[in-house]
Amino acid sequence: MALSKKEISILIEVVFSILFALIFMPFFYENQGDNLISINNLIGKITPIIIFAVLYFSMAYAVLELIFKAKTTVDERDDMINSKSYKLGYLLYELSLFVFIGMLLTNSILQNTGGIIFLIISLLLFVSIVKSIYQLYLYRTF
Amino acid sequence: MVLKNNLKEFRHKNNLTQDDFGKSVGVSRQTIISIERYRYKPSLELAMKMAKELNVKIEKLFYFD
Repeated sequence: MALSKKEISILIEVVFSILFALIFMPFFYENQGDNLISINNLIGKITPIIIFAVLYFSMAYAVLELIFKAKTTVDERDDMINSKSYKLGYLLYELSLFVFIGMLLTNSILQNTGGIIFLIISLLLFVSIVKSIYQLYLYRTF
Repeated sequence: MVLKNNLKEFRHKNNLTQDDFGKSVGVSRQTIISIERYRYKPSLELAMKMAKELNVKIEKLFYFD
């Protein structure tokens, strides 16, 4: 299965989202019951993630540039695929807002700072991953 | 009714690769592949650019089947 540069870029984003979830989520999962998450803990957790993200994307895109020397053209098909995937992303964001409110009202363990952050990040990651996978699907089928 | 095209045939007649043809009309090779496989329907502007580039009338390039 040959993938174009654009498809590989989307895969890089999906892999990053999954890696981000694997690194970041356990911290908030463990601290779901906390009413106030220590700002030092939070900074300590965010700083390596920012460094990791910069390094990851720099390396990933440098490798992409080396493999595909030709510059990619953004055309009307890309615009159509992007608008379709972002539309789905927008609908999922709206839906996730209801899920967020519903879960907050029904789940007592989430009714604190740690729980709310955990829930927001979980929903955002879910939406981002689904949107990227749908975008990849459209690139393969259109 | 499905919108089809003779793009591949006319492109071959003009000795153009998908990549070269894509560049000449300002789209990617993947877009040309997608149009030739009838997956993606180009805009009127792109269809007219393609017809002009291949020196053929638009109704000969695109047709309903």
